[in-house]
Formats: sequence, C-alpha cells, structure tokens
Amino acid sequence: MPTAPLNQYAEGELMSLPKALQNREFRSTHAGAFSERLIVISLALCAVATVLITVGIIYMLITESAGFFRSDAVTMSGFLTDTEWTALQSKELEQATFGILPLLSGTFRVTLIAMLIALPLGLVTAIYLSEFASARIRSWLKPTLEIIAGVPTVVLGYFAILVISPSLQMVSDGAFSTFNATSAGIAVGILCLPMVCSLSEDAMRAVPRSLREGAYGLGCTPFETSVKVVVPAALSGIISAFLLAFSRAVGETMVVALAAGTLPTMTLDPTQQAQTMTGFIVEMIKSESEYGTVQYYSLYAVAVTLFLITFGMTLCGQIIRRRFQESYQ
Amino acid sequence: MSTLPSAIVNQDEQYLVDNARRRKQLSIWFYFLCVAIALISVVILVVLMVSIWSQGQSRLTTDLLTRAHSELEIERSGMWPAILGSLFVCGTCALVALPLGVGTAVFLEEFKPTQKVLRWIHGFVQLNIANLAGVPSIVYGLLGLTVFVYMFNVFGQIRVNESAGMEIMGYKHFYQVLTLEPGHVVFAPQTDPTVRQITFDEPFQAVDPDGNPIEISIWTPGTPKPTDPEIRRRTVRSGAIGGTITERNWYYFRLPFDKSFLSGGLTLALVILPIIIIAAQESLRGVPSSLREASMGLGATTWQTVRDVSLPAALPGIMTGSILAMGRAIGEAAPILVVMGAAVAKSSGPQHLMDDAVTMPVLIFNWAGRQQDEFKELSAAAIIVLLVILLLLNSTAIYIRQKVQKAQS
Repeated sequence: MPTAPLNQYAEGELMSLPKALQNREFRSTHAGAFSERLIVISLALCAVATVLITVGIIYMLITESAGFFRSDAVTMSGFLTDTEWTALQSKELEQATFGILPLLSGTFRVTLIAMLIALPLGLVTAIYLSEFASARIRSWLKPTLEIIAGVPTVVLGYFAILVISPSLQMVSDGAFSTFNATSAGIAVGILCLPMVCSLSEDAMRAVPRSLREGAYGLGCTPFETSVKVVVPAALSGIISAFLLAFSRAVGETMVVALAAGTLPTMTLDPTQQAQTMTGFIVEMIKSESEYGTVQYYSLYAVAVTLFLITFGMTLCGQIIRRRFQESYQ
Repeated sequence: MSTLPSAIVNQDEQYLVDNARRRKQLSIWFYFLCVAIALISVVILVVLMVSIWSQGQSRLTTDLLTRAHSELEIERSGMWPAILGSLFVCGTCALVALPLGVGTAVFLEEFKPTQKVLRWIHGFVQLNIANLAGVPSIVYGLLGLTVFVYMFNVFGQIRVNESAGMEIMGYKHFYQVLTLEPGHVVFAPQTDPTVRQITFDEPFQAVDPDGNPIEISIWTPGTPKPTDPEIRRRTVRSGAIGGTITERNWYYFRLPFDKSFLSGGLTLALVILPIIIIAAQESLRGVPSSLREASMGLGATTWQTVRDVSLPAALPGIMTGSILAMGRAIGEAAPILVVMGAAVAKSSGPQHLMDDAVTMPVLIFNWAGRQQDEFKELSAAAIIVLLVILLLLNSTAIYIRQKVQKAQS
C-alpha cells in the first residue's frame, strides 16, 4: 500500500511542511544525544575543577605546613604563643623563633586602621548614593569608585610611600617612622572603600520604596529614614560587606609589602613598622630561601593562619547574606 | 489600655516646634556630611593621579618603553621585557581561565539539577565559588608555587647545571667545546643525558654555531699546530672538555614548570577564575527565560538552547566581565611575585614555554622598594603606563556594554 505523501498540500498552496519533513531527513538522535552528554560532562568537569582548587589549597596547606610542624625547632604551642618571629632575621635555625603573634598583631593593626577608614566612609557614601544622590551625581561618583576599585594594589602601595607616609610624618613632626602601620592601613582602607560602598549600596537599593514612603509618611526626616529605616532593613547586606572588606584587608599583600615595613613587632603603636602575615610571605619569597628548609615551610604555616581567618570571614559573610537576607517580594 | 504617644499627650508646643527644627537641622547636617564624605573618594582619586603623574612624567621617555631594567644605567632603564612578560602571562591566564570559567557558569546556570542530592551539591559548588573569590591572592600564589613550580617535588627540583627536571619535548642537548680558533665553539650532540661533561680525544661529528654539521679533528699538543683559520675552526685540542648546553625550541616542555611564565599564567588563571564565573553567571541570569522556553518549545535540547540562544544573548555581559577580570590579572602582583620570584633582571620577553619573565606590577614593586630616586620616578612612570593600559581595557569593556545596550533598545 503506497503511503500517503506527508506533504498533503500541493505546491503553491499556503502551508507547507518544514524542509526536513518534506525530504524525510530524519537524522538518528543517537549521535546527537551522545555528543550532548559529552558536552554536559565536560561542562560538569569545569565545575568540578573549581572544587578541586579548594581541595588543592587545603591539601597543599596541610601537607606543607606539616613539614613545618614536624621540625624539631618548632612546637605548636610555641607557634601560637611565642611573641617573637625571627624566621628571616636569624640565619641559624637554632636561634630562630617562630611565634605567629607579632605577625598577627601587625596584620590586625593594619586591618583595624583600614576598617576605621573604609567602613564609615564606605557606608556613608553608600547612603548618599542610594538615598540622596541625583542621577547626574551618581553617573560620575559611581565610575570614580569603580576606578579606585580597579587601581592595582601595587599602585596604592606606591601611593602610600609616596604621599601618605611623608604627609603623616609632616603632620606629626616625624613621630611616624618611614614605614608604618598607619600609612599602609590608610592605603588598604582606600582599597576596601569601593567594595564596602558598592556592596552596601546594593543592599540598600534592594530595600523597597514602600518602606521609605512609610517612614516619610510618619514624618521622618531624610536622616531618620535612611539611618533608622533603610540601614536596619539592609543590615545583613551591610554586615556581609563589612566582613568581606575585613577579609580583603587581612589578605592584602602589595600595599603592606611596600609600606608597612619588614620588622615583625608586637605592639599597639601604629607609628611603628608592622610586618603582616602577607608581608612576611613576600619577604620570604624575596629572600629566595631553599626549598625544604624550616624557614621555607614557615611560609605555609603563616598561610594556613591567613587562610583560616579570611576563609572564616568570607564564609560568615556569605552565610549572613544568604540566611538573613530580608526578602520583600 | 494602650498609651498615646508622648507627643500627643504632652502638647508642649514650644517643645514640639524646637524638636521638629532640631530634627530638620540634623537631617540637613547629615546631608552635607554625606556630600563631604562622598567627595573624599573623588579627592583621593585626584590626589593619587596628580601625585603619580607629577612624580613620573619626567621619565616617560622612549627608553622606558623600549629598554630593559639596568642596574648600571639607572637613567635609561625601561620596561619593555615587563610589557612582553605581562602580555604572555595574561595571555596564558586568559586561555585557561575563560573557557573554564564560562563553562562552569553555563553548567551552574543552565543545567540546574532537580534531584535533592544534586541540588545540594549545586549549592555547595556555588558557595565554594563565592569563597574562592574571597581567598587572598597570595594564597593562590603559594598554591601555584607548590603545584606548578615544584609539583610537590615529585619530579625532582630544578637546579642550574645540576638537574633539569623531567624534560618532555622541544630540547636538544649538546656538549659545547672550544676549537683552536680563539672564541669559536662547536657543539657535539649529547647521547647520554646523565653525563654532564665529556673529554674529547678522538675525531667526532659536531655542528657549528650556524647549525651546519662538520667533522672535527683532534690536534695533539706537540705536533705542528694548524695555521689556516678554516682548519683551526674544525680542530679541537686533545683532552678538551665539553660542558652541556641545551638548545630549546619554543615548545620546550618539562615537569615541573619551575619559575616560568606558564606557572605564572596558570596561577593567575586560578585567581581570576571565580571573578569570571560570577560575572558570567550574572550575565546568563539576565537572559530572559522566555527565550529559553521558546527554544525548548521548538524542540531544541538544553545544550542547543545554551549554544544558540542563552550564550549569544549573554555574550556581551560575559565579555565585559572577562575584560574587567583581565584588568585585575594585569595589575595583580602578589601571586606572580610568589610564583616567579622578585627578580627583574631579564632583558627580553620569554623565549620558550618554560622561560621566566618579568611582569609590570612586579617591576613596579621592585623599583618602588629601592632607595634611589631615579627608580622611584621610573616606578611612577611605569605605573602611568600600566594605568593607561588598564584604562584602554576598561574603555573597551564600557564600549561593548554601551553598544549592546543601544542594539537592544
């Protein structure tokens, strides 16, 4: 029995089937399904690679710092409680002491100063951008912040030793040493400012208009609306911005390597040198220490501490942002 | 019983008026505070630009762009090898990070799983990427140092004149030996790679510096010395010692990578990977789902939808994000410093895959940390060059963004 032609309409009539159906070109889907699966698998492998990076970081930190803690010259308790870090200063291993506290104190001095600059300035700029600024002001203030965010950190480090440190010395009549925690902290603060600002602004822009209108309707001034209504409503986003900025400041390297000095000090004095954890890693790399020595492995012990602090901060920031995000839908 | 607000109960008119005025005043003060603080960031940027320009403009010469770093002629030091090095390192970085990043973003956005376990894994990968974006770049540097430079010391360590690691391709070992003609050397092919030195006392086959094969004869001291320079060039003293020398093609490949530009590029790729993934994901999220549904409705498979609908629609956003990430890569110094070291003496760009390189940020860091004022000024000039390059990149990104916005509207 002859099959009826698929194309029931004669040529010239209004409707016609697609060409593939007319010519009965039905391709097997096996090859297609196979290549599709192949592609999906390779895309999945890309995603797996990102997990592998984390695994790699953790594996590297654990195995290499094990080499450090295995050495007879170091003990875990000494590492955590000793108040001296002389891995670079003493060439003889016997005289070197490895206590992380001075490096930690340097890091936190710099970070604290950076946060004192970045958090208030960033938050107020964000309030201004989201609550008060006109579209025209936004259109040039936002790019300005983006440019600051895009300036390479080594440039800000250079700025710290070129401008910030001499001006501090001038203002204070030389109370600051050439390399000091304050100038590095200010430069790191400048670095974090755009980040705090853009993340907080995003959070505040997500607060619905109706909340602001409600506040104005109750007679609030613009100040009260932004500080007592918008900021609390966006608090989870703002706190996560603070935490992310904090972890960025702790991990910042080039600025402190250039401006904070190379002496690990255990003090609260912001006018003195302050070698940070990242600063030490750079100094160690510059000294080209032999692979496999205790001094070389101490790099990884410092990196573990650094990684734990920043990873914890970032994780907290992410969780706060996800868990406590107010949704106004 | 609920109590009324004190403002209504206590109708002290004077107080209410004062209070309202005070609140309004405070609000106005706050507004000006906001303006002043917002202006600070502008002031910072202006001071930054002006101070670096005034410090570096006197050194913006052709020497800066065409010559290499020099300790002896500080005045005429330049950054040409650093520009080449940055180009190579960032090129490697882009080749690795872009496909990997876009692939991951497509997988996470377009192939969302439905089963509970897989959804949990999906969320985990997502959180992991956000965390990777927060890892300090210097930790990536240490990862690169361990994984690419030393490869956990599995293949042995690379030492000058001692061991070359595990060489795979693109190399030829020769023994280099002096002929009787002063200053003229010939190369004899090396057969046993473990023998690092050889003594010649029999005639042998060799190649001259131009690569032509020649027969080398031996001259024993005591016999008459040949005088013709042509013959002297083909004669070696008996007992002459040849040391190894390696000729490397551009595709020279060995394990571990040592402090090469390849290690640097791969490490930088790790640094910017999360940035690219996040940008590409946001861009894919911006594609309206109606487009995908229409494509699915026409019978396209998920991958066909991604290839022909989602990716083309998201491409401008992905490109903008990638260019910004490349800007970050060019300016990144810390991981490069850890992986490739702080040396800046190299006078040319990388010659083969395993060659070392200098990059612009590392050169700036090195110059900025020196005592001599000349180097400080050179550093500022190099910063100007770097910032101009970044500006060009970012304007490209903005241009793409605006062109697309125009096309879509």
